[in-house]
Amino acid sequence: MNPHLLLDLAGTLATAPDGGTVSVAARSRTDAELASRWCDRSGNRFVAWHGDHVEIRRGRSPDPLADLPDHLRPGRRVWLYTNFDCNLACSYCCVSSSPRAPRRALGLETIRSVVAQAPAVGARELYLTGGEPFLLPDISAVVEACTAALPTIVLTNGLLFRGARLRVLESLPREQLALQISLDSAAPALHDAQRGLGTHSRALAGIHTAVELGFRVRVAATLGPGHRDEERELHRRCDDLGIPAADRVIRRIARQGEADGGVVVTRAGLIPEVCLTADGVYWHPVAATDPAMRVTDRVLPLADAVDLVTAEFADHRRRGEELVSSFPCA
Amino acid sequence: MADELLIGAVAYSPNVVPIWEGMRDYFADSDAPMDFVLFSNYERQVDALLTGTVAVAWNTNVAYVRTVRRTGERCRALAMRDSDLTFRTLFVARAGSGLGDLEDLAGRRVALGSRDSAQARILPLHYLAEAGVDAELVLYDSDVGKHGDTGCSDLDALRAVLDDTADAAAVGITTWEALQAGDLAPDAFEVVWTSPDYCHCNFTALDTIEEDRAEKWVTHLLAMSWDDPSHRRILEMEGLKRWVRPQLDGYRSLFTAMQRQNVADGW
Repeated sequence: MNPHLLLDLAGTLATAPDGGTVSVAARSRTDAELASRWCDRSGNRFVAWHGDHVEIRRGRSPDPLADLPDHLRPGRRVWLYTNFDCNLACSYCCVSSSPRAPRRALGLETIRSVVAQAPAVGARELYLTGGEPFLLPDISAVVEACTAALPTIVLTNGLLFRGARLRVLESLPREQLALQISLDSAAPALHDAQRGLGTHSRALAGIHTAVELGFRVRVAATLGPGHRDEERELHRRCDDLGIPAADRVIRRIARQGEADGGVVVTRAGLIPEVCLTADGVYWHPVAATDPAMRVTDRVLPLADAVDLVTAEFADHRRRGEELVSSFPCA
Repeated sequence: MADELLIGAVAYSPNVVPIWEGMRDYFADSDAPMDFVLFSNYERQVDALLTGTVAVAWNTNVAYVRTVRRTGERCRALAMRDSDLTFRTLFVARAGSGLGDLEDLAGRRVALGSRDSAQARILPLHYLAEAGVDAELVLYDSDVGKHGDTGCSDLDALRAVLDDTADAAAVGITTWEALQAGDLAPDAFEVVWTSPDYCHCNFTALDTIEEDRAEKWVTHLLAMSWDDPSHRRILEMEGLKRWVRPQLDGYRSLFTAMQRQNVADGW
């Protein structure tokens, strides 16, 4: 231990403005730990140990999330990956869902527990996604459990609204429920290229069915950076479909799952949206199979998951990593 | 602007600016608004108080004694921090030194801080003299003009102990508590002797200040609350939990010490 360390800490901090950051030599882990304990006791913030020095901020930092709009606070949106299997195999799927993907369902009982705990963590909305949620035999019970507690958005490709599944759709509540149906382009070419031949017309049919049944329908497109023209065309198509602008979501392709390219997402660079899967809690739904984005293996209690995400997010912002951006999945 | 009470303070740290801007904001909506002027040292500030450039000076105990002496006692303390009532000086040695009282410092090397610091130099010399202790002095004038507010000379004295160029050092209680050394590094230092409580800073005005104006200002000052987050931020930076009326008995030892040591009334 450097016997001068406490003197160096007190002396250096005395010359720093409140909120200012200073460096103090600390060449061993023991010294860094001592500096950290000193900060805890003296009302300063230990920022990091860099091997040969510690970085310290004078005074207690204000809440780094205080200026964050309420709707962006972790836990306001809670995402549930109901399952990972899908009737499609989209070229950019961020979680590699496909007919070959194992189901890995979150399960009705777990979802009921999450829903019961969601209001207490300040959740405002629930998002159900997959995979394709309408592949689940108990999707009706899942949706009813969610909508009974909070406004709920179900992400679907809209291709399964036939036969028994159409009757399931017809049985779902209209209150507190929106269906977000994927439609990547106004014309079939791009949509079919990304999501499978013939899927464009079937998605449009699904949108019409849902609208006619009285559901609030949102349209979500996943587009690459060179698809500006398709985006404009899609907005025109949505106008024709009667989908209001607030219910249109344009998402960028993320470099996750099946995507060859796209936006790189990291925990430090992404505003989190708590995302629950059968495999644990993830930082954001756009990266719900990426081990680097897994926050914890334990989905419940939900408050613990939200606390973990909140604490890490606050830490990123304290460190000045405020160039984080949102990635709208919905 | 003409109605604002002008307060003088010394810029001993970058945080002095937000402290006094916060104070000015707090008083802005009161019936005793204030503004402030920052000085580079306490001697300039006392000069400014005596010439009327500022109406009130946020003085150290040494600056207060000098003001009393230079005005022939025609000044008054208006208020102080709760923490100013219980200021202390500690003599500190290496843990395991075997030094257990002031008398044990006889013939030892004792490190003392800046010559204008009550806690680091003037009162330690007074305590040693009162105890009849003749020590070899190791002196650090690290922040002259700031009256020890920076704590630099206290830390220099403690470094001397660690480096074995001194057997003991005198430090003010605020520096000692800031170190947390008793808990975090119990093997580094031990306290040899702790002084009785004495008083530190106060707001000093000349006795010509208008009574009603001074009272309004002090009343609003005393109304600052630790429980109000906007007040608390200022109080924390200034190192107090509440403002209190002055208690002048706590300056007696310093008056005596400065007289016996012939500490000048200025630089």
